[in-house]
Amino acid sequence: MALSRSGRCLILSSWLCLGSHSIWAVEAMSGNFALTDQDGQRFQLDQLKGKVVLLFFGYTFCPDICPTELTNLSRVLDTLDGESVQGVFVTVDPDRDTPEVLKDYTDYFNRRLIGLTGSPAQIDRVTQKYRVKFRKLPVPGGSYSMNHPSNLYLIDRTGKLSTIVPYGLPPEHVVDVVRHLLAENL
Amino acid sequence: MLARFFRYSLTSVLIFSGGASQSGAQSLPVAPGYGELNYTLPEAGSYQLPPLGTAADGEVLDTSGHTQRLHQQFGSQYVLLAFIYSTCSDVNGCPLTAHVFYKIKSEMKRDKILARRLKLISLSFDPLVDTPEMLQLYGNNFRYAGNAGEWQFLTTSSEKTLDPILRAYNQQVQRELKDDGSNSAGYSHVLRIFLIDPDKRIRNIYSADFLHHDLLLADVRTLLKQEDQTDTWNRSGSQPLQVSRLSNPGDDKRGYEQTSYRTRSLALELRQGKEADLIRFGTEPPLGLPAIPTPLDNPLSREKIALGRKLFYDRRLSLNDTFSCAMCHIPDQGFTSNELATAVGIEGRSVRRNTPTIYNSAYATLLFHDGREDSLEQQAWGPLLASNEMGNPSIGYVLNKIRQIQEYQGLFEAAFDGKDASMMTLGMALASYQRTLVSGSSAFDRWYYGNDPNALSPGAQRGFRVFAGKGGCVACHTIEKRYALFTDNRLHNTGMGYRSSMGIHPEKEKIIIAPGVFIEVDRAVIDQVGEKPPADVGRYEVTQSPHDRWKYKTPSLRNIVLTAPYMHDGSLGSLKEVIDFYDAGGVPNDLLDPRIRPLNLSEQEKVDLVLFMGSLTGSNVDTLVADAFAAPVGDIGKGDPTWVSGTDVEVK
Ligand code: HEC
Ligand code: HEC
Repeated sequence: MALSRSGRCLILSSWLCLGSHSIWAVEAMSGNFALTDQDGQRFQLDQLKGKVVLLFFGYTFCPDICPTELTNLSRVLDTLDGESVQGVFVTVDPDRDTPEVLKDYTDYFNRRLIGLTGSPAQIDRVTQKYRVKFRKLPVPGGSYSMNHPSNLYLIDRTGKLSTIVPYGLPPEHVVDVVRHLLAENL
Repeated sequence: MLARFFRYSLTSVLIFSGGASQSGAQSLPVAPGYGELNYTLPEAGSYQLPPLGTAADGEVLDTSGHTQRLHQQFGSQYVLLAFIYSTCSDVNGCPLTAHVFYKIKSEMKRDKILARRLKLISLSFDPLVDTPEMLQLYGNNFRYAGNAGEWQFLTTSSEKTLDPILRAYNQQVQRELKDDGSNSAGYSHVLRIFLIDPDKRIRNIYSADFLHHDLLLADVRTLLKQEDQTDTWNRSGSQPLQVSRLSNPGDDKRGYEQTSYRTRSLALELRQGKEADLIRFGTEPPLGLPAIPTPLDNPLSREKIALGRKLFYDRRLSLNDTFSCAMCHIPDQGFTSNELATAVGIEGRSVRRNTPTIYNSAYATLLFHDGREDSLEQQAWGPLLASNEMGNPSIGYVLNKIRQIQEYQGLFEAAFDGKDASMMTLGMALASYQRTLVSGSSAFDRWYYGNDPNALSPGAQRGFRVFAGKGGCVACHTIEKRYALFTDNRLHNTGMGYRSSMGIHPEKEKIIIAPGVFIEVDRAVIDQVGEKPPADVGRYEVTQSPHDRWKYKTPSLRNIVLTAPYMHDGSLGSLKEVIDFYDAGGVPNDLLDPRIRPLNLSEQEKVDLVLFMGSLTGSNVDTLVADAFAAPVGDIGKGDPTWVSGTDVEVK
């Protein structure tokens, strides 16, 4: 894994917790959500039923880890080319990641990737669903970075969250698990 | 091995905490665990991993939500235990663990033995988010991977069940507060992974800067290779945890040469006493030991043993009411002092020799290193009157004091047919207690005398053959047909005393200044500031015969792993050093015993010898130590003859 440049956005292990734990404990993880895709179209996760979805969170200004993760994901998607698989990238930085920005980004990394954004409130709801904690960290010069975990969420063909792949596991592993998921629930 | 840890000590432990915004600054380097090792690891099995303490138990939840004991989850496997939380975003934190565990799991797929013997466990310290369902989603990564190489995810039901586990593993986890002070914005913690053996002992602890799958695998393979040796071997040779739980130096420094060392000082209140029926050990000696020789005029009796036991732990037997026999012959340190090469007496006065153990002194026909006494009855007066031991000015002083102490009223009379405390009865009582401290029925005894072929590990059996054969040790540390004292009760010149008399020392000495950090110090520097070794010519001092120069008594080797440091001057810290000393042929001098000669032992033979000596620990050690814990510690109190009334302030 090309990690020579480390993830500036991930150095810190602390972040703002966006939902209270008690809410998390009650609400089931995963499930459908609606956001806006890179073409400005309304997008619902349920649209992808029948495919295995590789969902992950990040932001396009992320200097290091997100690109690494995206490159890896690209490799996974390329390997699985022609199969019922869809990569989905949800931004945690909706202020900067407009549909246009996302379009450039997904075009650059992998055209088969769907990039999603929405209002801050919409994004909050989705990240809460997936227990993704992130927080804004100001950087000198008035800008900021986002601190967030880089887990990959695998959603099976029925739309159910099946597996969380922790960051650090290689693309071959992801391919392996996705292939097994494809073989299930036909 | 040492080189390995030395390297790590140079890089500081990464602490993954939030705090100051680092996002603009240059980022932390990615931990080495993600890449290739940039140094060569020592070969598996070529080094030791001494136990670092016990891996604690606790109540956990598995991914099905069932309550389990952590130890139950360990099973009888080797375990790599990591503390994680799933929402961790620090690349060099939990994801690093995932990466390294994944690599190890891949290796377990290839290596069947590893798959069977090793288990990976990730235990979450975030019970609120990491519910069993959540961890199941992580576990699903390996749903299809087959059975080879188990990686288990565990959590706890609440912070209440979690906290004792974190404390026991010294995992400090700070729940970070949000800016408004409300709870739990995240966690900061120091990444630690524990390698635990099937006996639930921690064998290594890894932090982020040396967490690498190659290293972890080498360590696991080292433990697997050394399985029949690990029970008894450890670097300082002072502690077989298997046989005696209670014998331990107060400040246990095992593993101090490693940076991962953590203090394990024992709290006094942990000492749980339990009285034993001591006379039984005196009348029915354990397997491998002969009947106890008792003088005709001092047969054992319960009263005498109890009185002697009381005296042995009584600090009032010293001039200033501070020093008991047990403060040099410390029960939980093998009835010797593990932490001192040579003894320290009243008011910190130096004694020139090492404290010998009292275990099995019942059989000694020569007492003291130079054999100057021959009966326990007489011997006691030595330390009582030595100005640097218990410091009493005269026999009369001691006896007068005891006669005036209320608690002793009637005890001597009851034990000795109406006889009062006297030079004779006091010696007899102390001798009676010490005679019951016999310790045998060790693994070796059960194998050799009890004919139990499984009692002795293969390594120790090999060691026995070296001991009795190539090493020639039995010539002096004798083994008889029906019993073994491991001493010929004679005196020999091994060159040990000659060496210190002649000031023969290595040019440079390696000195540990902090866990895992050594410096080499020139002899000249040490000589400038160091205390000169005391003059000691051994047996010669007793006989004045020139042939007896540097002769010392052969000590018994029973319970030898409990009684470090070794030799009359305590100059050898571990059994390994003792073996190296013998292997080199002792220290040549004109009077060297001819049986001491270069042995050309292989490394394996040396390890085996140590294993053999580790099998000589008696099965009743903990019984004797617990009995000692239960003994009253005689302390000065009101009414005692030397009580200073000024400490009692009367209030009208
Ligand atoms: C200051 C520490 C110290 C104290 C206190 C002390 N001893 Fe010792 N003991 C030693 C040392 C050192 C030796 C060896 C001395 C020598 O060989 O010259 C020794 C030797 C012995 C031996 C001979 C063991 C053998 O195998 O040769 C016995 C028995 C013994 N002590 C019993 C006692 C008793 C009983 C008391 C209390 C009355 C006592 N000791 C108090 C340090 C101490
Ligand atoms: C010539 C007799 C002789 C032979 C042979 C001999 N020893 Fe010793 N051993 C001694 C004497 C004497 C001492 C005490 C030396 C001293 O105190 O300076 C001793 C001390 C020891 C000690 C330290 C005991 C203590 O409590 O401090 C150990 C361990 C030991 N020997 C093991 C061995 C082994 C293993 C061998 C065979 C390789 C061996 N000995 C061969 C006479 C012998």
